[in-house]
Amino acid sequence: MLIRTLELQNFRSYEEASVSLSDGLTAIVGENGQGKTNLLEAISWIAGMGSFRGVPDDALIRLGADAAILRATVESPDGREQLIEAELPRIGRNRIQVNRQRLSRARDLVGVVQVTVFSPDDLELVKDGPALRRRWIDEAVVSRHPKHDALRSDLERILKQRNALLRSAHGRLDGDAAFTLDVWDSKLAAAGNAMRAAREDLLAEMAPRLAAAYDAVARESAEVETIYEASWHGDLAEALAGSRQLDVRRGVSTVGPHRDEIVLRIGGAPARTHASQGEQRSLALSLRLAADAVVRQAGVAEPVLLLDDVFSELDPGRAEALLDALPGGQRLLTTAAWLPPAATPDQVLKITAGTIVAASG
Amino acid sequence: MSYSSTVQELIDSLGRLPGIGPKSAQRVAFHLLKAPPEEALRLSRAIVDAKERVSFCARCFNLSEGGDECAICRDPRREERIVCVVEDSQDIVAIERTQEFRGRYHVLQGAFSPIDGVGVEQLRVKELMTRVGEEDIEEVIVATNPNLEGEATASLLVKYLKPMGVRVTRIASGLPVGGDLEYADELTLGRALEGRQVLDAGTPADG
Ligand SMILES: Nc1ncnc2c1ncn2[C@@H]1O[C@H](COP(=O)(O)OP(=O)(O)O)[C@@H](O)[C@H]1O
Ligand SMILES: [Mg+2]
Ligand SMILES: [Zn+2]
Repeated sequence: MLIRTLELQNFRSYEEASVSLSDGLTAIVGENGQGKTNLLEAISWIAGMGSFRGVPDDALIRLGADAAILRATVESPDGREQLIEAELPRIGRNRIQVNRQRLSRARDLVGVVQVTVFSPDDLELVKDGPALRRRWIDEAVVSRHPKHDALRSDLERILKQRNALLRSAHGRLDGDAAFTLDVWDSKLAAAGNAMRAAREDLLAEMAPRLAAAYDAVARESAEVETIYEASWHGDLAEALAGSRQLDVRRGVSTVGPHRDEIVLRIGGAPARTHASQGEQRSLALSLRLAADAVVRQAGVAEPVLLLDDVFSELDPGRAEALLDALPGGQRLLTTAAWLPPAATPDQVLKITAGTIVAASG
Repeated sequence: MSYSSTVQELIDSLGRLPGIGPKSAQRVAFHLLKAPPEEALRLSRAIVDAKERVSFCARCFNLSEGGDECAICRDPRREERIVCVVEDSQDIVAIERTQEFRGRYHVLQGAFSPIDGVGVEQLRVKELMTRVGEEDIEEVIVATNPNLEGEATASLLVKYLKPMGVRVTRIASGLPVGGDLEYADELTLGRALEGRQVLDAGTPADG
């Protein structure tokens, strides 16, 4: 999948912008705060219908404007072109069109374009709590198996429903409430068991690629492992029955995939607490690379690579190594400072104050 | 600038309607203010007439005009032994269009959704149980929407109805998942009714 053109209206700092993209390496350069990341964010929105910076859609609409509009022409491997259009209004629902046909279910856009995003914040994947790692693996699960997008959103909704029910019980569960909790428990058990299995399968599939990516980026060989620590043993249905008293008392769901952890280890030691900053950075990049490799290998998609400001955080050696480790195809990178000397962009876009002022290559 | 209290009251009343946010409420209010008097009067009369003449059926909670019970409940040709349970009256219209179903209905008036504060008490579940106890009902077809809340409602109904010894079936899958019964085409909905399956209390409605 290639993105041929991108057009923005009232998106972030862009009032109007339009650009054709090369199918190789594009370097987006400019001072800080000019709108480089905004450009990558627009592409990632089309892929995942959300900002990779984790902000609500409202923040993406240019200040003072009523709606942002994104338009992209994309080309599939068989040469078919598609026009994707998204309107994000400040009030009301998003409108999504593919080839001028409105999608009845907006979520059907997910998976039409796939991206792999690298950002300096990825370091938190290794350093922070489990929530980010769960998000990472769930995004990877959906990329690898697009049909799991429904599983992921069902799971989220089931948890919201179950927690709302638990809160409304005010610590006590009478006959009817117990009956209704049974219903959400069976839904949560089915979705939770399925999500855990999907995550564990994917981690296993990823293991060799993670090891290879780490060796390449860190330029040294170390044993890298991911260990899935579930918040329950056996069947989730039984675990939910076991935790029912506690859940009712606390008004939240205390077991389930939303409480699971993925422990990352380098050379047998937990990376979160024992690894150096450099090792943590290499591991974070490797997690992104490994998820990307699995999707490519399985022939699901050839994600467009979006690298936001990652080279400035790396020493020249690691930057070169990352550049070498990247798969080919369409790649866009932003930088305010330098490019690794080995990088030979096919296209350079210079961004100043929300306009694309110069294009070359 | 702020609106006069008369205009504000109109905007607020419109804004309380489902699916109408503050912006749309303003737009509709100004449309009505600019429109010829007949247009606004026709709307207000339609609302008053509907409120006066239309009520909920005492038996099945479908919309009913001119009587305690709705036209379907009053129709002696309709089968008493089969009851189709739906979320809203609109779903009855969709099912009637298929001409596949000759039984009666029961409208829950919503789906089970704790987030929206809708539990068993907010739905017409107890009334359905009373009907199953008192009427000659052999089969209850659960035709709630094929989304998460609809499936949860189906599971809930099985839990309540199975012990009463009635056959509980669920319309077959094949309806677009996550969709709305109201928008399903006749052919698909007709097939879903025909291919319905018995639900067990032990198995979740979605397998
Ligand atoms: N919704 C918005 N409306 C207008 N400007 C915005 C909006 N969101 C962000 N910006 C502006 O975008 C700029 C940041 O763009 P960004 O792409 O993050 O910069 P960088 O080039 O450093 O990656 C800031 O000047 C910010 O004020
Ligand atoms: Mg930036
Ligand atoms: Zn009736």
